[in-house]
Amino acid sequence: MSKANAPDSASVSRRYFLKGFGATAAAVATARVEAVAQELEKANAEKIQGPEAVPITLQVNGHPLKLQVEPRVTLLEALRYHAGYTGAKEACDRAACGACTVLLDGVPIYACSKLAIEAQGHAITTVEGLAPSGKLSMVQQTFVDEDALMCGYCTPGFIMSVTALLNKNPHPTADQVKHACAGNLCRCGTYPRIMQAALKAAGVSVSSKTEVISYARLA
Amino acid sequence: MPGWPEKRVQIGARAKRVDAPAKVAGAAKYSSDVQPEAWLYGMILRSKWPRAKVTRINLEKASQAPGIKAALAVREGERTVRYYGEELAAVAGTSKQACQDALRLIEVDATPLPFVVREDEAREESSPRVWDNAPNLARFKVVEKGDVDKAFSECPTVVEGFYTTPVALHNPMETHGNTVAWTDEGVTAWSSTQAIFGVRDALAGNLKVPQNQVRVICEYMGGGFGSKLTAGAESGIAARLSKAAKAPVKLMLTRFDEALAVGNRPSTFQKIRLGASADGKLQALELENYGTPGIGSGGVTEGASGDVGVPAPFIYRVPNSRVKQASVAVNAGSSRPFRAPSHPPASFGMESILDELAVKLKMDPLELRLKNDPSEVRRKEYQLGAERFGWKENYKAPGSSPGPVKTGVGCAGSTWWGGGGKGTQVEAQVNPDGSVEVRCGTQDLGTGTRTVITLVAAEMLGLKPEQILVRIGDTRFPPSGGSGGSTTAPSVSPAVYDACTKALDELQKQTGVADARGENWAGACKKLGVNPLVVTGQFQPGLSGGGVGGVQFAEVEVDTNTGFVKVKKITCVQDCGLVVSKLTCESQANGGIIMGIGYALYEERIMDRRSGVVLNPNFETYKLPTLADMPEIDLVLFEMPERGVIGIGEPVTIPTAAAIANAVANALGVRVNSLPITPARVLAALGKDKLSTT
Amino acid sequence: MKPFQYVTATSPGSAQELAGDQGRYLAGGIDLLGEMKEHIAEPKILVNIKSLPGLDKIEPGAKAWTIGANVTVAALESHEGLKKTFPALAQAAAEVGSQQIRNVATAGGNLAQHSRCWYYRHRDIRCLKKGGETCYARTGENKYHSLFTGNTCISPAVSNLAVALAAFEATVIIQRGNKHVPMTIPELYAKAWDNPTSHNSLEPGDLILKVEVPAQPRRSAYVQLSEKAAFDWALVSCAVSAQVEGNKLRLARVVLGAVANVPYQAQAANDFLEGKVLDDAVADKAADLILEKAQGHSHNAYKAPIARALIRQALMRLKG
Repeated sequence: MSKANAPDSASVSRRYFLKGFGATAAAVATARVEAVAQELEKANAEKIQGPEAVPITLQVNGHPLKLQVEPRVTLLEALRYHAGYTGAKEACDRAACGACTVLLDGVPIYACSKLAIEAQGHAITTVEGLAPSGKLSMVQQTFVDEDALMCGYCTPGFIMSVTALLNKNPHPTADQVKHACAGNLCRCGTYPRIMQAALKAAGVSVSSKTEVISYARLA
Repeated sequence: MPGWPEKRVQIGARAKRVDAPAKVAGAAKYSSDVQPEAWLYGMILRSKWPRAKVTRINLEKASQAPGIKAALAVREGERTVRYYGEELAAVAGTSKQACQDALRLIEVDATPLPFVVREDEAREESSPRVWDNAPNLARFKVVEKGDVDKAFSECPTVVEGFYTTPVALHNPMETHGNTVAWTDEGVTAWSSTQAIFGVRDALAGNLKVPQNQVRVICEYMGGGFGSKLTAGAESGIAARLSKAAKAPVKLMLTRFDEALAVGNRPSTFQKIRLGASADGKLQALELENYGTPGIGSGGVTEGASGDVGVPAPFIYRVPNSRVKQASVAVNAGSSRPFRAPSHPPASFGMESILDELAVKLKMDPLELRLKNDPSEVRRKEYQLGAERFGWKENYKAPGSSPGPVKTGVGCAGSTWWGGGGKGTQVEAQVNPDGSVEVRCGTQDLGTGTRTVITLVAAEMLGLKPEQILVRIGDTRFPPSGGSGGSTTAPSVSPAVYDACTKALDELQKQTGVADARGENWAGACKKLGVNPLVVTGQFQPGLSGGGVGGVQFAEVEVDTNTGFVKVKKITCVQDCGLVVSKLTCESQANGGIIMGIGYALYEERIMDRRSGVVLNPNFETYKLPTLADMPEIDLVLFEMPERGVIGIGEPVTIPTAAAIANAVANALGVRVNSLPITPARVLAALGKDKLSTT
Repeated sequence: MKPFQYVTATSPGSAQELAGDQGRYLAGGIDLLGEMKEHIAEPKILVNIKSLPGLDKIEPGAKAWTIGANVTVAALESHEGLKKTFPALAQAAAEVGSQQIRNVATAGGNLAQHSRCWYYRHRDIRCLKKGGETCYARTGENKYHSLFTGNTCISPAVSNLAVALAAFEATVIIQRGNKHVPMTIPELYAKAWDNPTSHNSLEPGDLILKVEVPAQPRRSAYVQLSEKAAFDWALVSCAVSAQVEGNKLRLARVVLGAVANVPYQAQAANDFLEGKVLDDAVADKAADLILEKAQGHSHNAYKAPIARALIRQALMRLKG
């Protein structure tokens, strides 16, 4: 980050310093030291960054990821295009489809609508982080078992939403699954089996009437 | 004479989708994910004008913008753009942000011209012309059968209606696009496509590169539904950028672009008249339809059919008919084939008027269909479906359900052609360690092609699916056709069959082992020595087919106070041929039904008349159903193995909207004649779309 | 998006200073980033206000509850006490967007969000609200638009929370300069009523700090009707609150959402309900009074019957 963009620390301290007036001399002396310390801490926290690329560190799937990105780069772009985590997908870039769903401190968000720079200091989990040693997570395996996917493009997003739901509520009702997953779109139409997979992962077996019947038997 | 084994172990098993693990792990690399060394981002500048004469595109500032490695105009010289979103120029740069900034530095000199975006206006002679050399409204094509006027005059019962369906957008979750790289070996394009050889052909032609130096790869793709059957402007643009920048370029369209320039389902405006004799037998049909395929009408079509015609009288037997259809051009993106082209609107029109006839005849709509549907298979499907659905118990006179929230039921029938062939070839490689690789230049849009190939190979070789590795989506593999028309499974399955049969023969010749299948496999393969066995199989007739029926029933609940439609249940009985992969076949059917629900209730591309722009180029206002909108889906696949492998992707989406529309009409006692059936349209049909209740 | 500077503020005062007149506050970011991606907004600096101390709490109180501006919509949806005391607010929160949006969207951001009119949101249309000359919706596609407006723009206010908070007669505390300015919900949106280029009454630099919701013993309900069952903007929404004494309504407030550039109430309707015993006829009469001044456009008159249905539904839920 270029120094030219950092607020002038002397002027900042002075600006806030002026607010510290109005106490006894001794108190003022102590208060002044404390105030300066506080203000300097604030000044550091209030460091203006950008618009050019700045170094950031993201905690992704338990690992630190050091990148150099402009403030306008979204978390999704940082993950996909700056770091090669292509599990989360860019399908709309407008917080409307869920293909970019990742977990931020365990909570599902749209990565397309979170700036990478402000995602620092949070634990980010992508679909790649669910099976670190190669063994699919229970939710992932259940999606496979129930064929809760077709083209697969929306699938990582759904898996993150369902994973987060079951972490928070291990025994959701069908309505709760709907509420948790309404923000994920699927154009191939895998919803019925996603519901089945989510409930099965929650320990509820859902019977489906779907069957293949031999025509000859009917004749 | 080839034939599928009578006793089948792998074919028809509930095997898991073979690429599911890669997809759920986020490891599957789609064209939008592939990242060759030093790749650049590509982006397209599109026309802001629905119609304009573009005289100059100034790329100077853009080409010098930070991070930009190439900038080009899509076409040199003066040109007329004909729709909001038409491609004008493109840049390649080191980041998405660099490209976005650079696009805003491109200066376009253009003179806006008068335009028209609505079908009813475009029909008029006084309307601005989309194409200079032709009127917007094409000449009506007329197809006549029998003597329709005489037949009408003799019909005791005649009904009439005007039904409309909107322009709908494919909106696959993965947008269109390519990652293209030039190397010493030529051009490689990772293309999100349903037709790798089609893309190769287009690229080679556009770039004037020999075909043997163009390779197209599509290992995984995020849906297409017909919009990705042609190369599209963006593939050539990406390749040109890559050549100019001397670096790979990833150019994926934005969701905004998807609404403008990569295809759509044409609208229809169907005026239908239907006459029947007293016993309910259909005697006469008159249908006049127009609709828009955007600019894909008259002269140039951009990879589109340009044909809005609906098959009429669709699945029904009507001895006398006159069908007049014409497309009308508007300044909007060209249509492209969209899952069962022309069939969902045909079904909507025909099934709607049939139910109107049933009401007038005071006949059960199911009975009326059984009387007039010549397909024995569909009649059986109606009977089975009616039982499972509870048609007899649930069918009541229209509008008779008590209370403000009314229930209703409806049904509709389907038909689709399909069939296989397309010169499909498959390569099977048997390795000395017994592992098998099957290669085919075909595509898997999510349809389960990989799994189908795996199961056929496993069946024919007497192996387990885990022993088969399937590679698809590469023009270095033997060719197959584009994946459209529900033709993929019927094309590749016989070719895999042939390859495996030949492999067994060859294995026997080389090793002396009479039947290498099953337990004998490892030992036989070991005898191969060092070199694998490689054989090529072709599509064989007799193992696959086309032409299916299908029926669907819908139960809805309509709140007559708010107009809200809730689909409670869909029962689908779909005949298919030999089901190779049960799990993926069922998922296809679910998917088609859900797409039909979207078409019935939510989807509509909206053009703004005044500005000529698409008003809803996003998922916020181009609405797709979510998990929360799902009805209960009861699905029965009617297997007819003697017909061979038949593709199922399209038949399952055809009658859904028609069945739902009929159910809504049954609930309300009045009909909503236009899709999508929104609360606004329901309230209008009930005469309630007024500010005051008096 | 255009390039911008980014900074995290640690106090409201410094947030205002850092934003200056070319900056915007970044809370949940859903609305702001959406506008920036279409170049409708091009701030030079984004000031992250999520670290402002004390603004992320829901604080019950005997006289009033305080909801910090940074409380997420998800927190409002799931707070057990809030669900009991202000059910309409929790219900309104539950219908905001999707789970992913609710997890980051904040109370303040939801109230301050901008119009969703598709002409306003279109990158290539310079409508009246953006300083152009024409309200395209008036003569164009207006099925989602307002039945009431005090000016030419007919794009409705879309905050679910505002509708519920209006029914509770909540007060929003805003920092304007170095003053704390209280605004009722009607005051918060008043400028949008009169002024086509306004979305609400916030001036540049204004920072929503908290919402105070009076804790009278009220029953309440929120309902909305959308085209889809979830993750869809309301075509019409309705929040009602009232004290119920015996079987009579007291101090009833009926508010409609998505029908005006403000959460819409009619004093005549609220007055009419005073002391009434709730039944269908009473609900319908209240609806008539609320809709009295409705002006439909070519495609949105259907909102009126939906409003009537929702008013009746919401009021009937008060019967308990």
